[in-house]
Amino acid sequence: MSGKLTLISSATASSSASVSFTSGIDSTYDEYVFYFVNLHPGTHAENFTFQANADGGSGFNETITSTSFEAYHTESDSSAAIGYMSSYDQANGTAYQVLHYSVSAGSGMDDNGLVGELRLFNPSSTTYVKHFYCTANTMVGSTQVEAFTSGYINTTSAIDEIDFKMSSGNIDAGSIYLFGVS
Amino acid sequence: MPRFKMVDGVSVQLTADEETARDNEEAAWAAGEDARALAGMRRDRDRLIAETDFYALSDVTMSSDMTTYRQALRDFPSGKTTKAHVDDATWPTKP
Repeated sequence: MSGKLTLISSATASSSASVSFTSGIDSTYDEYVFYFVNLHPGTHAENFTFQANADGGSGFNETITSTSFEAYHTESDSSAAIGYMSSYDQANGTAYQVLHYSVSAGSGMDDNGLVGELRLFNPSSTTYVKHFYCTANTMVGSTQVEAFTSGYINTTSAIDEIDFKMSSGNIDAGSIYLFGVS
Repeated sequence: MPRFKMVDGVSVQLTADEETARDNEEAAWAAGEDARALAGMRRDRDRLIAETDFYALSDVTMSSDMTTYRQALRDFPSGKTTKAHVDDATWPTKP
């Protein structure tokens, strides 16, 4: 792989219940990366999540097994650590996978956005499960939190659609860019 | 108020079925508010205890104030069952 990025598509949220990519994810690239730029929830303390849909399937409800951990540091420098996030992993679950928890908004925190990237490997494979990993960074209250999520979509069917949304409410603003890696 | 989703960069109004599904998701999320608040409180409590774990090493003498503080952290979730309890609670002060 040369590491060259090719922009496939982008979407800018505007009070959007979800942001979906339903085209451009195919066998062209072995790796796809979604970049999140200042995604802003409509309401405070929502989780940012994603799910996938297999080719020919119905709904964003694929089986996922995942792990999640965080690194955090408070603005006051009072606390900093790394911790496993057992609330956000899945064991062959079909829920939307949490990529970051409790994204802050409103009440003096509207200057916050979520940034990060989700990498999805070989989504069109009909031999392998679909591995992914994500790093996402945002403000949780007055704490900087980096969330690290990885796992696999436990299907050997091709994945061709990805959906992002908050656990409740809208993604009020921000952009998601989809690149192919060649 | 109708909801809209962004599909391949185009804003599309949710169907009636999608609206119902989203209503149900949001109701479930709202119903879990207390559980999330309590889980977050325990996570924060665990962080605070972990920060003082080194005082429990065999070659370190833990002060009585620190012993009291760590016990207060361990007891902190007791009796708290709602988000309001969590929001109203005052954390123990680290000595």
